[in-house]
Amino acid sequence: MITTAPPRALTVRIRPVLGLASVAAATIATAMALLWAPPDAVQGEVQRIMYVHVPAAWTAYLAFVVVFLGSVGWLWSRRLAFDAVAVASAEVGVLFTGLALVAGSIWAKPTWGVWWTWEPRLITTAIMFVMYVGYLLLRGLSPGIEQRATRSAVIGIVAVLNVPVVHLSVTWMNALHQLPTVLRPGGSPALDERMLATLLVGVLAFTLIYLWMVAKRATLELARSARVMEGLR
Amino acid sequence: MSVARPAGYAGGAGERRLLMLTALAVAIGIGYFAFQELGPSAVYYLTPTEAKERQIAPGTTVRLGGQVEPGLTYDEATRDLRFIITDGVTRVFVLGRGAPPALLREGAGAVVEGVFLNDGTFRASQVIAKHDEVYAPPSPGVTPPHRTP
Repeated sequence: MITTAPPRALTVRIRPVLGLASVAAATIATAMALLWAPPDAVQGEVQRIMYVHVPAAWTAYLAFVVVFLGSVGWLWSRRLAFDAVAVASAEVGVLFTGLALVAGSIWAKPTWGVWWTWEPRLITTAIMFVMYVGYLLLRGLSPGIEQRATRSAVIGIVAVLNVPVVHLSVTWMNALHQLPTVLRPGGSPALDERMLATLLVGVLAFTLIYLWMVAKRATLELARSARVMEGLR
Repeated sequence: MSVARPAGYAGGAGERRLLMLTALAVAIGIGYFAFQELGPSAVYYLTPTEAKERQIAPGTTVRLGGQVEPGLTYDEATRDLRFIITDGVTRVFVLGRGAPPALLREGAGAVVEGVFLNDGTFRASQVIAKHDEVYAPPSPGVTPPHRTP
């Protein structure tokens, strides 16, 4: 039997806390990124774009892994809460991927010398972006809630392969985008401690924002589904 | 008919057709880029040694990637950019036009797109500076070479 009741704890208690925590973390992260972290010896101040670009990219990876988990959860349990979390996470993931692409492009013009080039990291990220936009578009094609959830789940499970492909693309082939600085096997992160601390606070802020947005959007999705189901009784 | 129609469902047949065409276009787009750019023979750039081994013919557009040797010059008047790109084994003399990207420096990475001339020099139509994955604050008293306006 399909259950649509949204968990009350999530909707009533956690969201305001997440919202406040997000604002606090974002404020601190912005202050650290603009005022406390040192500039780069080679790039100067433009390196600070990294504090938006990298957290956005990593949070997008997280979002798409959650889409995968929600997809599996729906197919396994037939609880619409999983599908609601999946679509919410896909929307936020698309948003943050777009943000990472735009921030990256703004960084690339003064450093690389071009706004865009068809190199491996950029191509695979663009493909990931388009694939999840496709996930969202295709949800409009299913005439039934359960059918939509199942079709989306299939895409959500396959598309998560984008995440390791995007991250590892620069290590697999000659690329313009730099190799991973933090998420790499062996060696410790190749950046100044203050830069790393600022980056991690930025990641925390983006993650809290992500959680808050997903909580809001998933609740909305479940409310819509509940209204539709009620209309059938 | 007791089917639960979800919010955002494209109800009309015309709407559905448009959506399906969009999805098809997206899929074709993905497929095109995947096979074009990530195919087994497709690389973003060749090292100078790889270009030599493959005997890239003069006039064929290709990208080379490597390190910039000491001796980079840019003439403001003629807008001639000259430098040598190397992978440690093979050196290629590059001729470019126009101001180089701010991060193009001796000892750092670069990717150039263009064609080989008959004499083995490379005429670049595009010069891109490559940044490595290391970030460090400037030493005291030293100004970073790249300054944003």
